[in-house]
Amino acid sequence: MNISPRTAQVVMKASASTAKDQIRNRFWSWVIFVGGALYFLIPLAATFYWSLRAKKDVLGFEAYRKLFADSNFLPSFSESIVNAITAIFISLLIIVPTAYWVMLRLPRLRPVIEFITLLPFVIPAVVLVFGLIRLYSRPPLLFTATYGSSRVLLVCVYAALSFPYMFRAVDNGLRAMDVRSLTEAAQSLGANWSTILLRVIFPNLRVALLSGALLTFAIVIGELTIALYMAQHTLGPYMAELTRSKVYEPSAMAIVAFAITWAAMGIIQLIGRGQAGQIAGGR
Amino acid sequence: MAYLSLSNVSKQFGDSYAVQDFNLDVEKGEFISFLGPSGCGKTTTLRMVAGFEVPTNGTITLDGGNITYKAPNQRNMGMIFQSYALFPNMTVGQNIGFGLRVRKAGKSEIADRVKEMVSLVNLEKHVDKYPYQLSGGQQQRVALARALAIRPDVLLLDEPLSALDAKIRVSLRAQIRDIQRRLGITAIFVTHDQEEALSISDRIVVMYEGNVEQVGTPFDIYNFPQTQFVANFVGSLNTAVAEVKDREKGLLSVDGVQFASAAKMDGLQKGDKVRIAIRPERFSFASEVKKANVVDCQIENITFLGSVVRVHILIGNSKFTMDTFNYPSLALPKIGAEEQVTCSREAVLILGPAEG
Repeated sequence: MNISPRTAQVVMKASASTAKDQIRNRFWSWVIFVGGALYFLIPLAATFYWSLRAKKDVLGFEAYRKLFADSNFLPSFSESIVNAITAIFISLLIIVPTAYWVMLRLPRLRPVIEFITLLPFVIPAVVLVFGLIRLYSRPPLLFTATYGSSRVLLVCVYAALSFPYMFRAVDNGLRAMDVRSLTEAAQSLGANWSTILLRVIFPNLRVALLSGALLTFAIVIGELTIALYMAQHTLGPYMAELTRSKVYEPSAMAIVAFAITWAAMGIIQLIGRGQAGQIAGGR
Repeated sequence: MAYLSLSNVSKQFGDSYAVQDFNLDVEKGEFISFLGPSGCGKTTTLRMVAGFEVPTNGTITLDGGNITYKAPNQRNMGMIFQSYALFPNMTVGQNIGFGLRVRKAGKSEIADRVKEMVSLVNLEKHVDKYPYQLSGGQQQRVALARALAIRPDVLLLDEPLSALDAKIRVSLRAQIRDIQRRLGITAIFVTHDQEEALSISDRIVVMYEGNVEQVGTPFDIYNFPQTQFVANFVGSLNTAVAEVKDREKGLLSVDGVQFASAAKMDGLQKGDKVRIAIRPERFSFASEVKKANVVDCQIENITFLGSVVRVHILIGNSKFTMDTFNYPSLALPKIGAEEQVTCSREAVLILGPAEG
């Protein structure tokens, strides 16, 4: 095939301009990426640097040592972890069967359920906690009388706070598989509802459940407003108290909380990577 | 008494009926296909047999017992889906053994049955693989093995070959039929593909708009369609409006060209307009063999379809097609040439009064 010199010139010009555009786009992508990264990393680095200056003129982990040595740190930390795990289980028990049933039998109700699960986003924490205290501080629903009963109420509230994340995670997981066919296949093979949920639906929602659970964990672990007004000794109020009374330990605490959150995200990524192909391929 | 029986079964969704007064008796070991276009009610009927839909009216009995309202997990019916519906979190072996594990069968029994089933569908090498590691055809064979592992009373197949490519579809349908025959299992197969239904079934139920149009063997359905829908839906068909000329002799006229038909003309009068149908393969050139009807025609076009040559002809003002086998010594006329074609009296079917 013969190409005229004029056509060749036009083609070369066009490919040269495409290459220039690509370089320009890549440059601006990097500028935006670096700008965004600095926006997050500079405060983090500054906090980390500040947390290392507990001893005069020496950079070290003194603030972290003091933090872990504080007799209030571990009890509040462990209490928050127990609260978070319990809230995750309550949330899973409510959300998974609900989302499954809505998808299978009541798809028209989906917008309603979606709206209900979004309410914790819409209602500010202060409004929520005063509403809860008003409702649950008198018989027959007296939940604020003791520390233990307040804690039960707090965990239930945390479960409700997790609904927006948990419902979306579970809903996305269910949409990624052919729920109806899998359910009917299991039914035709003799499975009842509990078997279907436990052996077919839950295992295939592993990634979705983990992301929902870990997001919930990340939110609950440092939650302040509700725990403070319910007089709970969890990590959030502990951190607030620390900020008021100490100089370097709050920074160390912020870095520890940040590390825990990122570790949670890392676990989601790690587990998710293993299963994505399996679920997609199974369809 | 029939093994599986559907009596006056109807299913209503809102104001409209998806299935209306469906009646069918299925013998043990029979392979039945529900054939029809989308929305004709074939899948709804299958789902009622499986227990996923409850009939609005009517009764379904299996081996003498009423199963109309029985839950799907208590019916012992194996079902195969278009989307395979394999459990993604389980291996091939675990998928096949699922039904037995649910039934709390012993470990050795499960292992033996899984081994038997993977050998039945020739997947011995893939028993430890996950569904996503298999091709579509292999996944559907796993689904077949899984459905058969529970030794179902009836095997239900909901368009199981639709998602597969043409070659695998043909080989898998032969394999399904072979396994069904070997095991002597009763099977109901839903499809919209007439070739699939004709090639695989003992009997076919042709459905249209929720109603049964015709039930019969593939031979009867193809050669003796009882309604215009069946005639049009199953196979290629030439249809034309004809005028009754002589009821006693079975003579009809298409645009002034006379045809003799063996079809019954009860209730028809001379001058009535009817719709006639002739399969393309029932025509042949009159130069070869002359049959009862010999008519003049003009060759409009010729299309090669591999093993078949389709000749488009004009009889009077009506367009017809004629199919003839393609063989090396075939002498085809030129386009535009005047020819004579022939067909038997039996080839000329009467579908009913011509509408309009």
